[in-house]
Amino acid sequence: MPMLILTTYQTFTPLFEIYMRNNLPSLGFGLGLRTEHYNTILETKPKVDWFEALSENYMVPGGLPLNFLDRIRADYPVVMHGVSLSIGSTEPFDQAYLKDLKKLADRIQPAWISDHLCWTGVHGQNIHDLLPLPYTEETAKHIAERVNTVQDYLGRQILLENVSSYASYVDSTMTEWEFISLICEQTDCLLLLDVNNIYVSSYNHNFDAKDFIDGVPQHRVQQIHLAGHQNNGDYIIDTHDAPVIDPVWDLYSYAISKLGEVSTMIERDDNMPELDVLVQELQIARHLSANVLKEAA
Amino acid sequence: MSHLANLQAEFQAYLMDDVKGAGFIKSVIDDKKVGAKKRLGIYFDAYRLRIIEALATAYPQLKALLGDVLFNKVAREYIDAYPSTYLNLRWYGSQMRGHLQETLAQHPIAAEMANFEWTLSLAFDAEDVPELSLQDLATIPPESWVDLSFEFQPAIKIIQTSWNTIAVWQALEAEETPPKPKQESIYQSWLIWRKNFNSQFRLITEMEVTALNMAVMGATFGEICASLEVEMDEEQAMVTAAQYLASWLENGLVCKVSLIKFAS
Ligand SMILES: [Fe+2]
Repeated sequence: MPMLILTTYQTFTPLFEIYMRNNLPSLGFGLGLRTEHYNTILETKPKVDWFEALSENYMVPGGLPLNFLDRIRADYPVVMHGVSLSIGSTEPFDQAYLKDLKKLADRIQPAWISDHLCWTGVHGQNIHDLLPLPYTEETAKHIAERVNTVQDYLGRQILLENVSSYASYVDSTMTEWEFISLICEQTDCLLLLDVNNIYVSSYNHNFDAKDFIDGVPQHRVQQIHLAGHQNNGDYIIDTHDAPVIDPVWDLYSYAISKLGEVSTMIERDDNMPELDVLVQELQIARHLSANVLKEAA
Repeated sequence: MSHLANLQAEFQAYLMDDVKGAGFIKSVIDDKKVGAKKRLGIYFDAYRLRIIEALATAYPQLKALLGDVLFNKVAREYIDAYPSTYLNLRWYGSQMRGHLQETLAQHPIAAEMANFEWTLSLAFDAEDVPELSLQDLATIPPESWVDLSFEFQPAIKIIQTSWNTIAVWQALEAEETPPKPKQESIYQSWLIWRKNFNSQFRLITEMEVTALNMAVMGATFGEICASLEVEMDEEQAMVTAAQYLASWLENGLVCKVSLIKFAS
């Protein structure tokens, strides 16, 4: 009998945790919203469940981009994804940025708001890149305080995304997933798991990508990113300019087997194809996810 | 300074100058696969490439005018001269006109082109305001017009060119062979605004510039007429001011009118 209880418990824990996933339901399968596709989206209403808008593109006084976003928002759920929060910076937050972010969120009513677990500059300067952090307790504590500040200000949990990195620090005392877990514990924040970034970083830093997925607090994963990259032989650059490669699809299937159903989307930023091509690529994610979930059931 | 603050200061210094900042390399793990210097080099290059791309997006016809090689040189010098202080890459590039006035003084058309493209882009995502039409004014009795004062869309800007910058820009925009850059005998003023979500521009006379500036500052229609009387008789001034107002309305520049009545 104790065995049976244990088995039952183990079976139900993941379900419970998925339910606990913040009561934010899965949005299904989405795409990054890109200017090249605005008109096609409005004219053809493609079979895409939701779109991810790049926050900074719409943090402008007015004009066409905001108008398009308003109209697309009328037809689709939208989430906001930023690149400039600089959650890991040792500089104080830019208050005007936070204010503009909140203003945009009030206008768009996104299902959620995300940014990257990185830093983007200090001394009032911006590098416009997602720079890596040293994985130490000091850094985790510093970031946790800042995540709490942002969550309090926005009045909602935020999602932090793991970035692709090309350098790691001699100062780091733990793995990236241990670092992420530490921040989650101290903030109750959510995660945007970029499966391609996991693949890229695992290649660049010689770790097992599955360890990463196994190591993060799985019930906190609210969204998944998929993308293509550029393999230069000894390292990979995260370019978002090509289709998702098979090993990343395999890793995605593995992630779904561990996480259950998660809102999934493809990021494409360069070498932009017609929207149709991306809608087709998204079908792969739909099928893989459905297959994995069917097998698990 | 905390460890983290120190690391970030050193990393950023390295990105600005990889020779002066070389001390930072020892902070990065150096493995057999990819050396620390090469790893940091990825960030060093990406910083510049990303910003050059952003500048190329902001200044497409300036890039076409200068050609890739010179544009990239200008952009790299710009990056060193003006490290970004903007959280949004959209606003980076605002100093390009001044930068070109200094670094490409022998080609003044470049700075003018930059100024034109930047101003177009500012109009493109300026604040949204309502647009008034001529019909909206129809309800106001003619005798009240002298007391009308106007508010304009924030996208409005006036720029000056001394070269055939706009003609060159138009040709480049249409992917045609541009005319040879040449200096005009006198400078020209251009009105830039937004209509139907697109940036617009047109030539504007100095007299209209004066009238528009007055109107933007809150002058009444009557005051604008009076100022035109310096150049022409009363009736002509009235007709000219009415024509200006009609074109401002047609261009969608006016977002609000109010009657300024002073108690007598
Ligand atoms: Fe991503």
